[in-house]
Amino acid sequence: MKHLILLSFLAVVISPALASAGEDGGKILRAQCASCHDLKGPAPQTIRELWKRDAPDLFYAGNKFRREWLVQWLQKPIRIRPAGVNYLRNINSTPPSNQNTKKTGRKYDVLWGSVTKPLKHVKLSRAKAEAVADALMGLKPHYSLVAGVKLDASKKVSLDQGEVLIDKVYGCLSCHFIEPGYGGYTGSELYTAGKRLQPEFMLSYIKRPKNWDPKIWMPNGNVKPDDLQKIVNYLILLSKEDFNASN
Amino acid sequence: MNKYLLSMTLTSLLLLPAISQAETAADNYKTYCMQCHGMQGNGMGANIQDMSVQPRDHTDAKTMSGRTDAELFKVIKEGGLAINKSALMPPWDSTFTDNEIHDLVKYLRKLCKCKHAG
Ligand code: HEC
Ligand code: HEC
Ligand code: HEC
Repeated sequence: MKHLILLSFLAVVISPALASAGEDGGKILRAQCASCHDLKGPAPQTIRELWKRDAPDLFYAGNKFRREWLVQWLQKPIRIRPAGVNYLRNINSTPPSNQNTKKTGRKYDVLWGSVTKPLKHVKLSRAKAEAVADALMGLKPHYSLVAGVKLDASKKVSLDQGEVLIDKVYGCLSCHFIEPGYGGYTGSELYTAGKRLQPEFMLSYIKRPKNWDPKIWMPNGNVKPDDLQKIVNYLILLSKEDFNASN
Repeated sequence: MNKYLLSMTLTSLLLLPAISQAETAADNYKTYCMQCHGMQGNGMGANIQDMSVQPRDHTDAKTMSGRTDAELFKVIKEGGLAINKSALMPPWDSTFTDNEIHDLVKYLRKLCKCKHAG
């Protein structure tokens, strides 16, 4: 009996240390996430299928995300796509007068509805987030798309040089934020990309987005190999900036 | 019977690529172009707040009638740089088939209610 008490006491003390002990990540995914996220693939093959997508595909999560980021984000989810997963559902061409349209007098399409409020998303405990991150990192069907893809850290750029590539040279800024609120709305924010995403994924996705998501509204910008390396090095550098401090 | 089977196989072979690829110009415009060129096609898309060059107003008959169909095809396929315009107009050659681009050119002619005035 004394032994039993000691054992259960030990188990309670030790389990937080073995972060994900006792949680079944795969089971949580199927039970709490599969209703919105596609865990099996393939990605939408037609525009009409694409329009039905409610949440980002997770079936290649292991080829895409950095595990540390997943563990953090799942405990404290915040918005990544300023216009939501499908911008077409969240824009309106007559701006409500209470919305800040910056360039006064010009009636351009604005966001409306739930995307103008903070993201509502399932939050997980630390232990569950660790277990789910493990399960997600095991989903790697797109190995072939990143095989042989490698970041060349010698292709360095400064923040200013990187911004020239992203804005003037390739026009990525039209659809992506490179700091909170600066840039376009219909892609995911890029100032956190270096923290969220594996460098190999970024290299492969930017080179040919269609390989990952056949109908997505990001064009293939025909980025030159050297510039591709520079852009990804820039995104990694950019993600180390402290955007909260500068605001 | 054999002839019938053969022609069935042939038609299905011919139809296959069409089924797996072709999207309507309206769906393509909505999904890919509206984000910059706007819900009304007037160049006032959701993305323009920090763009240094304004997307073309596709309803502006005066400017759009100054372009040939071949020029419109080229700028959609190869992007703004290909016609000495801004790189902020992206190339769409990996996204569409040539047929889809021809359909988009026709769609633009409907938006501007205009032809090339040449
Ligand atoms: C009600 C629908 C819904 C459910 C249920 C849901 N999610 Fe999400 N999830 C979303 C949406 C919408 C986003 C996109 C947020 C954004 O981009 O701003 C998202 C984003 C994510 C992302 C980031 C993906 C990316 O590509 O950027 C991850 C990871 C994620 N969810 C994991 C989970 C997990 C794990 C669960 C289950 C515990 C879950 N989600 C349950 C709707 C949902
Ligand atoms: C016309 C709009 C558009 C342009 C231009 C554009 N993108 Fe994107 N980009 C998107 C969309 C849409 C996605 C997919 C977001 C999602 O998964 O929901 C995306 C995804 C990405 C991703 C993956 C991000 C993630 O969170 O999964 C990266 C990296 C990226 N883009 C970089 C670039 C770079 C670099 C350029 C310029 C060479 C560029 N983009 C140009 C719209 C655009
Ligand atoms: C990322 C934003 C963006 C997207 C997405 C976009 N465009 Fe453009 N487009 C522009 C900009 C900016 C210009 C103006 C270029 C200039 O005047 O230098 C332009 C110009 C044009 C022109 C006029 C070229 C001329 O001769 O003046 C046409 C035609 C055009 N776009 C068609 C399209 C079509 C069709 C699509 C969808 C397949 C599309 N665009 C998607 C930004 C975009």
